[in-house]
Amino acid sequence: MAKDAEKSTWKDFIWNPRTREFCGRTASSWGLILLFYLVFYIFLAGMFCLTMYVMLQTLDDHKPTWQDRLGTPGMMIRPRGESMEIIYNPQMTESWDMYAKTLDNFLSPYNNSLQAEKNDECKPDQYFVQADSGDVKNNPKRSCQFNRTLLEVCSGLEDRTYGYVDGKPCIIIKLNRVIGMLPGTDGQAPFVTCGAKKEDSEKIGELAYYPKNGTFNLMYYPYYGKKAQVNYSQPLVAIKFLNITLNEDVNIECRIISNSIPPGSERDKFAGKVSFKLRINT
Amino acid sequence: MGYGRSDSYRVATTTEKDEKESPKKADTKAEKKIKDMDDLKKEVPLTEHKMSVEEVCQKYSTDIVQGLTNAKAAEYLARDGPNALTPPPTTPEWVKFCRQLFGGFSILLWTGAILCFLAYAIQAATEDEPAGDNLYLGIVLSAVVIITGCFSYFQEAKSSKIMESFKNMVPQQALVIREGEKMQINAEEVVAGDLVEVKGGDRIPADLRIVSSHGCKVDNSSLTGESEPQTRSPDCTHDNPLETRNVAFFSTNCVEGTARGIVVCTGDRTVMGRIATLTSGLESGKTPIAKEIEHFIHLITGVAVFLGITFFILAVCLGYTWLEAVIFLIGIIVANVPEGLLATVTVCLTLTAKRMARKNCLVKNLEAVETLGSTSTICSDKTGTLTQNRMTVAHMWFDNQIHEADTTEDQSGASFDKSSETWLALARVAALCNRAQFKAAQDQLPILKRDVAGDASESALLKCIELSCGSVKQMREKNKKVAEIPFNSTNKYQLSVHETENEEDNRYLLVMKGAPERILDRCSTILIQGKEQPMDEEMKDAFQNAYMELGGLGERVLGFCHLLMPEDQYPKGFAFDCDDVNFTTENLCFVGLMSMIDPPRAAVPDAVGKCRSAGIKVIMVTGDHPITAKAIAKGVGIISEGNETVEDIASRLNIPVSQVNPRDAKACVIHGTDLKDLSQEQMDDILRNHTEIVFARTSPQQKLIIVEGCQRQVRHTQTDGAIVAVTGDGVNDSPALKKADIGVAMGISGSDVSKQAADMILLDDNFASIVTGVEEGRLIFDNLKKSIAYTLTSNIPEITPFLFFILVNIPLPLGTITILCIDLGTDMVPAISLAYEAAESDIMKRQPRNPTRDKLVNERLISIAYGQIGMIQALGGFFSYFVILAENGFLPSLLVGIRLNWDDRSNNDLEDSYGQQWTYEQRKIVEYTCHTAFFVSIVVVQWADVIICKTRRNSVFQQGMRNKILIFGLFEETALAAFLSYTPGMDVALRMYPLKPSWWFCAFPYSFLIFVYDEIRKLILRRNPGGWVEKETYY
Repeated sequence: MAKDAEKSTWKDFIWNPRTREFCGRTASSWGLILLFYLVFYIFLAGMFCLTMYVMLQTLDDHKPTWQDRLGTPGMMIRPRGESMEIIYNPQMTESWDMYAKTLDNFLSPYNNSLQAEKNDECKPDQYFVQADSGDVKNNPKRSCQFNRTLLEVCSGLEDRTYGYVDGKPCIIIKLNRVIGMLPGTDGQAPFVTCGAKKEDSEKIGELAYYPKNGTFNLMYYPYYGKKAQVNYSQPLVAIKFLNITLNEDVNIECRIISNSIPPGSERDKFAGKVSFKLRINT
Repeated sequence: MGYGRSDSYRVATTTEKDEKESPKKADTKAEKKIKDMDDLKKEVPLTEHKMSVEEVCQKYSTDIVQGLTNAKAAEYLARDGPNALTPPPTTPEWVKFCRQLFGGFSILLWTGAILCFLAYAIQAATEDEPAGDNLYLGIVLSAVVIITGCFSYFQEAKSSKIMESFKNMVPQQALVIREGEKMQINAEEVVAGDLVEVKGGDRIPADLRIVSSHGCKVDNSSLTGESEPQTRSPDCTHDNPLETRNVAFFSTNCVEGTARGIVVCTGDRTVMGRIATLTSGLESGKTPIAKEIEHFIHLITGVAVFLGITFFILAVCLGYTWLEAVIFLIGIIVANVPEGLLATVTVCLTLTAKRMARKNCLVKNLEAVETLGSTSTICSDKTGTLTQNRMTVAHMWFDNQIHEADTTEDQSGASFDKSSETWLALARVAALCNRAQFKAAQDQLPILKRDVAGDASESALLKCIELSCGSVKQMREKNKKVAEIPFNSTNKYQLSVHETENEEDNRYLLVMKGAPERILDRCSTILIQGKEQPMDEEMKDAFQNAYMELGGLGERVLGFCHLLMPEDQYPKGFAFDCDDVNFTTENLCFVGLMSMIDPPRAAVPDAVGKCRSAGIKVIMVTGDHPITAKAIAKGVGIISEGNETVEDIASRLNIPVSQVNPRDAKACVIHGTDLKDLSQEQMDDILRNHTEIVFARTSPQQKLIIVEGCQRQVRHTQTDGAIVAVTGDGVNDSPALKKADIGVAMGISGSDVSKQAADMILLDDNFASIVTGVEEGRLIFDNLKKSIAYTLTSNIPEITPFLFFILVNIPLPLGTITILCIDLGTDMVPAISLAYEAAESDIMKRQPRNPTRDKLVNERLISIAYGQIGMIQALGGFFSYFVILAENGFLPSLLVGIRLNWDDRSNNDLEDSYGQQWTYEQRKIVEYTCHTAFFVSIVVVQWADVIICKTRRNSVFQQGMRNKILIFGLFEETALAAFLSYTPGMDVALRMYPLKPSWWFCAFPYSFLIFVYDEIRKLILRRNPGGWVEKETYY
């Protein structure tokens, strides 16, 4: 008895044929409330768009308002591997083939022909400043050539395998782009230095840096943003492991050495440095 | 006691076994329990009062002189157990604690916490580095419930401690006669058949059948509500054991005289014991606020599950894995739980309870704070609640005129002409023919507050004379008493002979008082304006009229006369013999009448009026006589001026009562004996069709029936019954107190049993405090609505970030920690401050809320909090989120779909809209800054929210900003937000980062919009009452 009554009230709630109510409201009542919410939300959306529009108007096209979180630029390697781990077996082509392909892709914009076509030859060892004159923007800004050949054996031009097949892999290191950053004072260019972490120091063996000393030439700075400096070529440093211990994990850390870049915070493992693991199996 | 308890425990275990064996037996057992309760609700089955003394002796094999033998007494004691009431089963402390921990709102939070742990377990099982958020959230939720539980547990423990202090711990003694010897024994050892002697001042140790008495009077007010002491004598005067004179009841007091009686019932079998058992057996239902919170939980759960399921399906459609979708589902459901609300509600109720305690309403159960506010009917006891429980002279008749005396507690009432010589004579008679006197050492106390030794009406006279004519003591010293005949029931008068004040006058003054008609019979003259005139028929008629009128007011009338004895017959030194009266007691001079009543408390008529204008029906339920009850009811306005009962109409129109249409009479007075014969339908009919009802001569069981009848009353279309409050002080009230939705006991005069049964205690015994209770109850209900509306609103800006995170793959705009900072941090003080908000309109001028229609939280509140204000708030938060990301280089267009890369720890060169590259940690700092900004934005929009939540109908400009706590709350939440954002170390502790000053202002337009939007809504609401806006948005 009681259950029947309950059932019917439930049914009545969903569709009450007597009052023609669906979920406790008639069609016109539903219509009104839905119309109200529709109008209300359209108004809100309009208001939101308006405030967003006003906000976007305050932004500069070429430089973000705040850059204080980018005080120490990050560093990154190519290939990235899986979670910063590069593990392969020289005998098994498929285990390193993707690294070589990644590097091929990554380096293709640096082909000398492309660079010559798009970018300028700049005067090395000094900043390539292209200041605006007051309100008149000096756009688009030109960029300096970074030729693939600068990476020599790691350019992948002669050795299509980037040394992976010999157990002497190349890793390419880059410094994150930050608009307006000047990475060295007094004409001293920043450079990359790599080492093994404590217990692995004997396993790392010899390293070779390309370009020489692993420097990022000052002429590639400052960066003016992707809108003003469309063809910017980010400078690179390649390192080649010449006789790394095989069949063991080697933890490597590379740092940027510069007299103007502050050391990154302890908690950020990629600010001004980059760590990765390399293991070559046989 | 411990022994008895273990016994009953054994019984319980065996029955449990029985139940397992045959489920049918359980049914019969339950039936039997119901039958027991019904049995208790019936009248007392005492028959001993109708038996002769010999029969009673025989029944209990006792002797009228010797009493029981010690052996027999021991045997009975072993058979019946000690003569004490079984204390009501006390709930163990841990059960009370658990009730606080798992009751009502807590369930919601516990469910949330369990879901969190579940989600964390799933994440821990499937991911390598599970985010700790769900774990922390679960822990915080559990902590909130446990802390709030402890808080309310201690709060209630404090109230019960005050209760404990009421308890009278002195063990009672009884004087029994066993084997012919009188002995003092512990009252617990008294057994049926014992011969007991009681004297003035004793507590009756058990139900006694009186066998002999000397001027014994007992105060039955705690049992029947009659304020006058009752004479006890060996004769059976009434079939009803409660009304007959030859039974004295357990735990009533013997006021004066001595009596001897045979114990007929002990312990739980006594009349008092039956009431106590009945009381503890009654179940009181859920409080209205508990029902409201339940309804609220249903709504919230409904919304949470609906959102959860919707987004679960969406997530699955969007290509998330099942496990991810389940985590999202749990996350959404948990995000809907208002973490801070439990604490807010508890604190609001506690604040109100404290405020009420300051106004002399002690609330035992926190949830009962609101109940008075929802009350639609108050059943009030008369004696001690509505009246002062103290006989006072109310009227006098002398010089052929009725004079009114001042009966107010503070002597602010009207006075009468005190210059008449007749008045002086009357005062002299009343002062001299009076054995009452003030107890020593209270000269500094006001006269009305002094304790008096003597019976109630003599004390009334004493105080009246002391007030109007000065020291009675001096008057008595001047007029030395020579002889005295005390009151007895055959003469019905009291007489004394005094010397006169005048030294030279050697005549004696005879003064007499007593039943007016007896006094009149002895008078031949009457004093008018100080002159003796013969008592003619005209004067006798005038006397009769005055007597009838005063009697009709429910007052006890006494007649006074005097005589200056002629010196020639009664010279100085005449030996008056009071046993064998050797002087005239006829042909006296009638002086006047004085009538007494237990007058209503001064504040009561006003309070009743307020209750009435607040739409609350006040019903008087008393054990006292109908005439007195009606008089007091009229006096306090329970029967308002101009309203007549059926009997009044009949006497006005001079027609028999049966010819009056009962519908014409709005008021009615119902006698307990009539009530017995009423069917349930007739009872409902009476309660429905009369607005002003007085129940007189009701037994405790009938009080219970009346309360149940009131609770059945259905107003308009509601499905729940009416919410009934009962006030009372006596043991006789306690079943009704327990059964009522809210029982209100008296703190000073109330009996322990009634205080145990009640939910609220009026510390000053003043009915007017109930009005405070109603007011506070209604206010807190309104303000809880506001608090909840405020707290729920911020749920939307807390949930939407997560929804967008799932749906459009943007970096998470608001994290768990920041959500907790809002719910348990910044939102707390403003939400609580709304409990201090003043009422918008006169809450005492509106009808009590309708429990079916008027919900604490309804769909409209959810609609406005979630659908409207919450949405604006969410936009405000999202706006500041987008501002911060855009100003840091990530334009909105880039953000959609960025989530996977954004949250990839190994992606440390993520490019922004300007071509800059970001490490994981760098962009996370920006994300956390966004969380902080979103949090700050919620604080900013909650400023506007708390201001609009101050009122539900009025404009803020009408209401004003007088709530200082709220203003403090605004500053506090802002300061807390700034503290959380700027304190060094917060980045590590709570992942909150300092904001640029400009980011504080992002949400300002939205805050302003909320304020303007709601003011416009309320304006339309006020302009267009009953319109669409009210129907859809007035919560």
